[in-house]
Amino acid sequence: MANARSLVKRLKSVRNIRKITRTMELIATGRFKKAMDRATEAAAYTKKLSEIVGDLGKADLNFSHPLLEERAETKKSVLLVLTSNRGLCGGYNGAVLRNTLRHIKQLKEDSIEYTLEVSGKRGIKFLNFQQIDLDRTYIHFEDKPTFAEVDELGLRYVDDYIAGRIDRLDVSYTRFDSISRQEAIVESILPLSSLAGDSDTTGEGGGAGSVDYEFQPSPQEILEELVPAAFRAKLFKCFLDAAVSEQIARMVAMKGATENADEMAATLKQQYNRARQASITSELAEIIGGAAALE
Amino acid sequence: MADLRLVLVTPEKTLFDRAVASIRVPMFDGSAGIYPARAPLVGRLGIGELKLNGTDGGSESYFVEGGFIQVKGEQVSVLTNGAMPASEISRAAAAAELEQARAEKATSEEELNSLARKLERARKLVSMATVD
Repeated sequence: MANARSLVKRLKSVRNIRKITRTMELIATGRFKKAMDRATEAAAYTKKLSEIVGDLGKADLNFSHPLLEERAETKKSVLLVLTSNRGLCGGYNGAVLRNTLRHIKQLKEDSIEYTLEVSGKRGIKFLNFQQIDLDRTYIHFEDKPTFAEVDELGLRYVDDYIAGRIDRLDVSYTRFDSISRQEAIVESILPLSSLAGDSDTTGEGGGAGSVDYEFQPSPQEILEELVPAAFRAKLFKCFLDAAVSEQIARMVAMKGATENADEMAATLKQQYNRARQASITSELAEIIGGAAALE
Repeated sequence: MADLRLVLVTPEKTLFDRAVASIRVPMFDGSAGIYPARAPLVGRLGIGELKLNGTDGGSESYFVEGGFIQVKGEQVSVLTNGAMPASEISRAAAAAELEQARAEKATSEEELNSLARKLERARKLVSMATVD
């Protein structure tokens, strides 16, 4: 009987855990939808931006801007790591941090001086444990990073880069490719490789029928504003991607946990039924045995 | 005459996507009006008020913070770092921002530039504030 009782206890706790993981899955699904909507809204901005870049391109001028120029020698770099504040999201943080460690090692080998900036409690804890010095930490980027918050960093990077205080900016984050595919990568976003946020959207803009634009002020001056804007949009996209990927990772992890709990509950239930049946049988056998002994 | 179609986008979301009769935008060097059948234009925006007259005669204004404008046929796209409807700007908050910007001291050229930007933003906000 004792066995059956302990099984009941375990069964109850497994069911409770299942309830929790199921709820977390639902919450993550809701947050994912919201984050996804934000990401799509942001995509409209980048698309327009690249359209204007395309228009400027037709005005035939040579693109030159400090943010686009690759430095002959990379001495100082900034590594920005985007992790989540909360755990229970499967391999999401692990993948980003693994990449980060590899990148740090690479930087050390190339003897490039680096500044490490980490967003998210998970990353901060992990890197502290690895006894890696962090230069700046942020924990205020939740699952809804606002442009104003990200822009604060963006403006600082732009200033630092133009002033020559940094030669490169790498971001270690999880890129969102599709709902079923996210990839942890380290991406260099300064110097800007392409102007148009995403290289695949370039030229899609005003391709059909060239329009003779009037530029106010000159194309060159518009470009001067446009390049930092493109960079800031790109940085913002990194944050949004990370937020979306986090929610997906959590959703998947919690779905798995719920399924496991279901399976476990079924096994435990079966075990309990067997134990109960066995105890009934043995009781009966005792009674029958006792009655037989009396005869 | 065909109406204009105004799309106002910020990095966070598309704030406005509707047909309008005319628009007044804050260009980098002053206000500019846009009516239907304007020649194609790509321009840089300053900080200030974007005013639009709806097709039904009503008008709305938004506070925009720099960015770009693209006019192509009847399509007008305004890309800006930040925008909010004038009806949401509170006087007290705007005044507080101006106060704060005034109190700041700049020591380098970069700081001076960013402070000038902040001051301009705060002044425009104060002038546009409608709600108490």
